[in-house]
Amino acid sequence: MMVITNDSIAQQATLRVSALHAFAYCPRLFYLEEVEELYTQDAAVFAGRRLHVELEKQEDEAWEELFLESEELGLRGRVDALRTRDGNTIPYEHKRGRSHRDEHNQPQAWESDRLQILAYACLIETVLQVPVAEGRIRYHADNVLVHVPLNEAGRQTVQTAIAQARSLRASLYRPPVTENERLCARCSLSSVCLPEEARLAHDREWQPVRLFPQDDDRQIIHVLEPGSSVGRTGDQLKITRRNQPIEKIPIRQIGQVVLHSFSQISTQALHFCSEQGIGVHFISGGGRYLGSFDNRHGSIQRRIRQYGALSQPETCLELARQLVICRGQGQRKFLMRGQRGKDPVPEALQQAIHQMKATLKQVNKAPALETLLGLEGNLAALYFGALPHLIGDQVDPLLQFDGRNRRPPRDRFNALLSFGYALLLKDVMNSILTVGLEPALGFYHQPRTQAPPLALDLMEIFRVPLVDMTAMASINRGQWEVQADFEVRGVQVWLSDTGRRKFVDLYERRKAESWKHPVTGYSLTYRRLLELEVRLLEKEWSGEGGLFGQLVIR
Amino acid sequence: MAEAKHWYIIAYDIRCPKRWRRAYKLLQGYGESLQYSIFRCWLSQRDREKLRWELEKILTEDDRLLLTGLCNRCVERMQHCNRPESWPTDEEGHRIL
Repeated sequence: MMVITNDSIAQQATLRVSALHAFAYCPRLFYLEEVEELYTQDAAVFAGRRLHVELEKQEDEAWEELFLESEELGLRGRVDALRTRDGNTIPYEHKRGRSHRDEHNQPQAWESDRLQILAYACLIETVLQVPVAEGRIRYHADNVLVHVPLNEAGRQTVQTAIAQARSLRASLYRPPVTENERLCARCSLSSVCLPEEARLAHDREWQPVRLFPQDDDRQIIHVLEPGSSVGRTGDQLKITRRNQPIEKIPIRQIGQVVLHSFSQISTQALHFCSEQGIGVHFISGGGRYLGSFDNRHGSIQRRIRQYGALSQPETCLELARQLVICRGQGQRKFLMRGQRGKDPVPEALQQAIHQMKATLKQVNKAPALETLLGLEGNLAALYFGALPHLIGDQVDPLLQFDGRNRRPPRDRFNALLSFGYALLLKDVMNSILTVGLEPALGFYHQPRTQAPPLALDLMEIFRVPLVDMTAMASINRGQWEVQADFEVRGVQVWLSDTGRRKFVDLYERRKAESWKHPVTGYSLTYRRLLELEVRLLEKEWSGEGGLFGQLVIR
Repeated sequence: MAEAKHWYIIAYDIRCPKRWRRAYKLLQGYGESLQYSIFRCWLSQRDREKLRWELEKILTEDDRLLLTGLCNRCVERMQHCNRPESWPTDEEGHRIL
């Protein structure tokens, strides 16, 4: 395996003082921000910045903002305010929160804040060549001013911290989650770091507190009409359609833009979407997933770890087994649901359920990926063989189903499934790109066509709950018009415009439903679960595994 | 840090057309304008703080800003007491165009 040494680069670049602050708060936070380049700003960050803007306006004295960098010290940073009091130069730092209280209830600086102000003091000393005796921190919430003297011990602390932070920056090893879980509740990266899930992975008795955001309720925009175009105006996306009024949508309300068939998107809009972390996906007019706009920045460390883990055949096999079990059980449980209310239960259905159970037992013993593929094939054959029994008797014969076929789908039911899987692939890709993994490197599917193997792998988990169940339920509810919603061309069957519109709607509604995660025990919508599952997969090779692929419907 | 979101009403008086335009454009990225100088936005705490910071950079002492959060009951009453078009309700997780 190729080892990438970035020592020389890491040695040269100076550290930001704020990164040192993060390091003192939690080494893992420092690593995620500095090395993995994950940076999310939470409410506190912006509130802090606003405080600075407000202070600037209030200040009568000239407000000095200094950018300093010292190669010798290995630090750089922006000093908030530099004042001269009685001939001494004193750096000030403003904090929005409360101060720490010692046992005598005296205000003290928090450890990380102390390190930060000392670092600024050292930086000023080194660069400006003026002696600095102390730094001061004002805590605005309880309105106290804390003096932090800069002495030999203080300088030593700063230097030790810089050395430690630098060696951590050069390492390939992500530090474990902190033991003080109260830090995590206030951490801006908790939804990426998933500390509670990591604790759960090590200790199954752990009662996780929910830190993963409940829902991403940004809208998903599907542009179905060919000839539409997506552009940007100000902070809005502008969607122009033929003979329709122009539609403008605030950018922060959008999570994904999905362009079906030949809709246009301007370069400006594309840049803007990338900047705002909005997924842009393309689906062909025939309902095939074409690709996504890759807007990952950095995240190279995560991919190096992925390459490292997924080039181990044992790891791949282990994950693949888990995946096949997850999917197989999902399929079996869905068939079992179909038995309910059926009297008598069709013989074939019962038999398939029985046989699937037997096949599933062999999965754990499968010695190689090829064996697994065989077993999965058997499971799929049993499942699709029994699936027609779940269709109600009142359903039009044209919507009946007799085995899975694709490329092209040859009946209406298969057309629904194919289009559904294309939408699902799009969503899985969106999550993979959000997390910053490499879609082309999977553990189960082998790279053959341009379809990304990791996305195909992850898709297995969601096929039954998001597509199969949605299609089956809509058919049994009689939501489909046999003629108007489909287009039959020879042997090929596609969804028509109205059909596609209907299915996108059904699918998106299904994704908005919530489901209780069987391991972490909290409920999430499917759209969140897609992302959570990718993050849990990433944990599999970061020493925090065991939570991936557990989503089985009941 | 579960990101709960709430409705906010944002109203402002801005003395200078240049700043007004900047603030207006900024707010259009966050929510929709209900009337001149009145916006409604569906924000998480994070968005709200970001917006406040960004507005703080634009506005000066002369300008007025009102930013108020609404509870669910407030929103219901809003729909009740006003004309139907003053508070459109079609919140969906997706849009098909």
